[in-house]
Amino acid sequence: MSKHKEGHSKSYEKLKLKTTLKEILDVAVSFEKTARDFYTAMIPKVSKNIRYIVEELAEEEQQHYDLFLSLKNDPYVQSQLDERIKTPTENHKFSDYVQLLDLGDNPDDQTILQYALAREDAAMKQYQDLADNAPEGELQDTFRFLAIEEAEHKLELEKKYYEIIHSGGPQ
Amino acid sequence: MKKINYNDKGSILNPLKNLQFYARKPVTEPLGPRPASASYRGFHINDLDKCIGCSSCQKICDNAAITMVEVPSIEEDASKGLRNLRPAIDYGRCCWCALCVDICPTSAIEMTREYVHVCDGDETDSYFIFPKETGIHGDSFEKGWTKTEDSDLLDRARRPMGEMEPEARIDNFDEIVDGFTMEMAIEEASRCVDCGLCEDACPAHMHAPNYIRSIYEGNLEQAVEWMYETNPFSHVCGRVCTHICETACSLGHGEGESDPIAIRWLKRFAMDNVSKTKIKQIARKGKSRKKSGKSIAVVGAGPAGLTAAFDLVKKGHKVTVYESLPKAGGMTRYGIPNYRLPKDRLDQDIEVIQSVGVDIKYNVKVGTDISMAQLQKDNHAVVMAIGMQMGRSTRIPGSDNKMVVKAVDLLRMIPKGDEFNVPKSAVVIGGGNVAMDIARSLARLQKQKYNEVNITVSALEQLGKTFLADDDEVIESKEEGIVILDARGPKQCVIENNKLTGLETVKVISIFDEQGRFAPKYDEENLQFHEADMVVEAIGQMSDVSILGDELTEELEWNRGRIQIDGNGATSVEWLWSAGDMVKGPDVINAVADGHRVADDIDKFLNK
Amino acid sequence: MRPENYQAVKLGQSNEYEIFIGPNHPGIEGNYAFRLMLDGDIVVSGKADAGYLHRGFEKLMEGRLWIQNLAIVPRICVPDPAPMEVAYSMAVEEIMGIEAPIRAQWIRTMQLELSRVAAHLFTFGGHAATTGMYTPMFWGVADRDLVLDLFEDFTGGRVYSIYNIPGGVRRELPPEFLQKLSNLLDYLESRQNDYDNLLFTNQVFVDRAKGCGALTQEQALELSVTGPNLRACGLAYDVRRDDPYLVYDELEFDIPIQTAGDAYARILVRRDELFQSIRILRQIIERLPSIKGKIRTPIPNPLSWNVRKGEAYARVESSKGELAYYVVSDGGDKPYRVHVRGPSSMHAVQTLEFLAKGARLEDVAQIMFSLDACPPEVDR
Repeated sequence: MSKHKEGHSKSYEKLKLKTTLKEILDVAVSFEKTARDFYTAMIPKVSKNIRYIVEELAEEEQQHYDLFLSLKNDPYVQSQLDERIKTPTENHKFSDYVQLLDLGDNPDDQTILQYALAREDAAMKQYQDLADNAPEGELQDTFRFLAIEEAEHKLELEKKYYEIIHSGGPQ
Repeated sequence: MKKINYNDKGSILNPLKNLQFYARKPVTEPLGPRPASASYRGFHINDLDKCIGCSSCQKICDNAAITMVEVPSIEEDASKGLRNLRPAIDYGRCCWCALCVDICPTSAIEMTREYVHVCDGDETDSYFIFPKETGIHGDSFEKGWTKTEDSDLLDRARRPMGEMEPEARIDNFDEIVDGFTMEMAIEEASRCVDCGLCEDACPAHMHAPNYIRSIYEGNLEQAVEWMYETNPFSHVCGRVCTHICETACSLGHGEGESDPIAIRWLKRFAMDNVSKTKIKQIARKGKSRKKSGKSIAVVGAGPAGLTAAFDLVKKGHKVTVYESLPKAGGMTRYGIPNYRLPKDRLDQDIEVIQSVGVDIKYNVKVGTDISMAQLQKDNHAVVMAIGMQMGRSTRIPGSDNKMVVKAVDLLRMIPKGDEFNVPKSAVVIGGGNVAMDIARSLARLQKQKYNEVNITVSALEQLGKTFLADDDEVIESKEEGIVILDARGPKQCVIENNKLTGLETVKVISIFDEQGRFAPKYDEENLQFHEADMVVEAIGQMSDVSILGDELTEELEWNRGRIQIDGNGATSVEWLWSAGDMVKGPDVINAVADGHRVADDIDKFLNK
Repeated sequence: MRPENYQAVKLGQSNEYEIFIGPNHPGIEGNYAFRLMLDGDIVVSGKADAGYLHRGFEKLMEGRLWIQNLAIVPRICVPDPAPMEVAYSMAVEEIMGIEAPIRAQWIRTMQLELSRVAAHLFTFGGHAATTGMYTPMFWGVADRDLVLDLFEDFTGGRVYSIYNIPGGVRRELPPEFLQKLSNLLDYLESRQNDYDNLLFTNQVFVDRAKGCGALTQEQALELSVTGPNLRACGLAYDVRRDDPYLVYDELEFDIPIQTAGDAYARILVRRDELFQSIRILRQIIERLPSIKGKIRTPIPNPLSWNVRKGEAYARVESSKGELAYYVVSDGGDKPYRVHVRGPSSMHAVQTLEFLAKGARLEDVAQIMFSLDACPPEVDR
């Protein structure tokens, strides 16, 4: 699970260097967008019986993408776009999953779910860190909101994981 | 006492002595109703929450005064043994004998000290009442006749079931449970109130009240006849059924110590005591003499597949069952250890099914030896009933080591007689019955080989609260020397120099979220290491649907990982049905029920 | 009135005429009819006409579960229902080969004796009323009501106790019950003088009752008379003594007898018996607290209870005479046959017809009531 694809590593570099809110949000939006595209592209590749997992993931990422986009267009956030924010130091988790991994030609349900879980976990921690570093006020609240959003998403995924993988035993 | 002589003439003056009554205090009684005694049998009350709608009151009522009426607002749940029927009483018929009170399994219906009801011509219907907690006039009168220990007409205690002692059973795979004697079985059967909640709850709707009654009357052949109407796996279910019937049993709903009827053990008793020849005769009953000329292929010789085959053969069709393993039975053979289900009993169920005319082809793996396309070509219909035979892995770090194995794979090896190195110490991950099965099987093998047991079961769930395995399994495992570490989550399999040394676990803080969904939370600081030569994963299972082939997989509609079926087991592909664990989750009796449904639907389809 | 029994008959010229008594009249506890042929006011012949209370109980019982019949049997004799449930339960117990626990047997004995007291009080009143004396009737009914209060207290039902069940009784006695019983017995004893003065030694009553409806011992035996009616003819026959059941062999009591065999002798026997019952109850009050243990031998769940194949005849001494249940089981969950040997049919049919002959019209009601027959038990 560590075959980084060329071309995607750039986004991490971006996040590391750019520190205005605008750029952070840009990366976040593209983070969700690439994920959405990644899952969407995966749909026809996986066996039909587990396709629903990938479909649901793609749909969830789409919802997040929409959320981030509308956030970026929010008038208040617009006025703050040039605000400089200290980049979190501990952001390697996020970086791991900004990369898209090659899950193989026909990944099974467990692999996909484990990947998605780790990804949500990283995003959650990243926003948490950003919130911790942002100046108090609406901006911080925004990051907190994003962190909670990702945390809830992760929790949902965890439950799904247990339901699918730990699906009881015989009598 | 003063004597009166017959020959005394008496006196005309004697009555006048009673003139003294004028000097006595007059006896007066109040005009209003007098309070009734503490055990008075007055108007009924019924605790609608305690009442489960079992209708025992209606049955015992000697004047047919009780009618069970449906109350749509009340919860109905067959698997819990709850009906939304509640008694209504016709006081034009009631004789206030209180037998309804004394029979009530849940002590819901009781009598009050209220006894006055007046109505005029327009209100004669007011004698037909629906008792609630507040009584006929909503006045919440004091209780009168209620059930006491003496007056309870039901026998609450289950006849105890004998078991092999731990020392005697730990080094072998002999069956643990003794089974009933005739006398015990009749006594146990006599406790049944014939409410039928068990029959409603049973996925296959086995006629439990009928066969219990037959057992009570000592007519075991008739009992077996009742069983074979709905279940050709009666030996298996008599031993390892999940017995939802017993959860539903109205006697189990009683307050305090009140055991449900041992329906499963009664079934086992009847099956064990009727000869195989006779059972074969019974199983053949109702078999069609006409051949339909239609042929059906069944993939998988487990309970679902064989039940479908059994039904279809009896309806006159030709059925071929394809089984990839050398013997039939599916998970009942390759998943359930012999000490719970002796294989000769399973063999008998299968022999009976075969005797009706079911043809089983062993060691044929569909997908490799014969394709689904071929099956479709050769038959009018195909049933997929392959079960859930692939174990899930936790995929924690180190779980790819060769000494980390899956429970189902090991459980399959034992009855097949495959050789494997019995580990001197092992950790089982999982808290369900499969985890217990493999733990107890390994314990027996360890005892045989090393004369000591060293097995640890590490489960997420908490003992006594959320634990998944049956209580009996937990108790018996402990008796056999197995250590159960509950509320621990696996963190990693520790590997040193490519060799497994054990399992590291973390503490589980909570296991369910507010909605009751499975979502364990861990205390990552609380680590524990369990030394082991082998780690067995028993966390979950899945179905090997790859045998369908890409084309068919693509053609089929799916429902969250399982083949999508309608209520009758038909898939979105016209010629294909699916049944059993692979579409319904793991349970023998559900598989049997599924088999019947699928067979009925295929028969309808073929006769179209 | 049913036409088939009351068709006008063209008779030849005669001094005789026909008169109908009943089915509603004060001479008997329930609906019962009697057709008299009179010559002047002398009865030439009498014909009993039963059936007004026929409910087919014996047949009904064949269609009901064993335990369901417990709610039917007390209805066979309204004034004295307890012996019905006890005898039925005893018969079923005998077939099953089970026995009620000793404490239950004591409680049953108590119930039977209390029921006898209630029934006799009722009869005193009824008998007195047939001679035109209504005060004793009110007394009798009022004092019986005090006994019914006790029944209500320990069985939950005033008249139809439905307290017995094969295997024992359904409920423990309530606290303080024996004290209440003891108080009632004191009261009843204190009433003895009142009753004696007003009824038993009242010359008006004595004159009316003496010689009325007299039976000899031989006649009584020939007519299958039992109970107080037989003991009034000088034969000390009592099932409690001659074929002891429950705990009667542990109790001390006398069998009162009279020899005249007439209405006065019969009511005197009942009067003495009432006090013997009080004597028995006093012994029970004394002994019962020391008899511990269960009150019920468990029977299988009554909804599926198959009583094993067999038959039994259980008899008790009711206030009216020998009462017995003959129960046959074919091994099913319902009786195959239940026959009630009620004393009243012998008393109210053949004995009454026999005694009415030659009696005066005004005595007929007294003869009927002095026999203490119970029409619902005749008809069943």
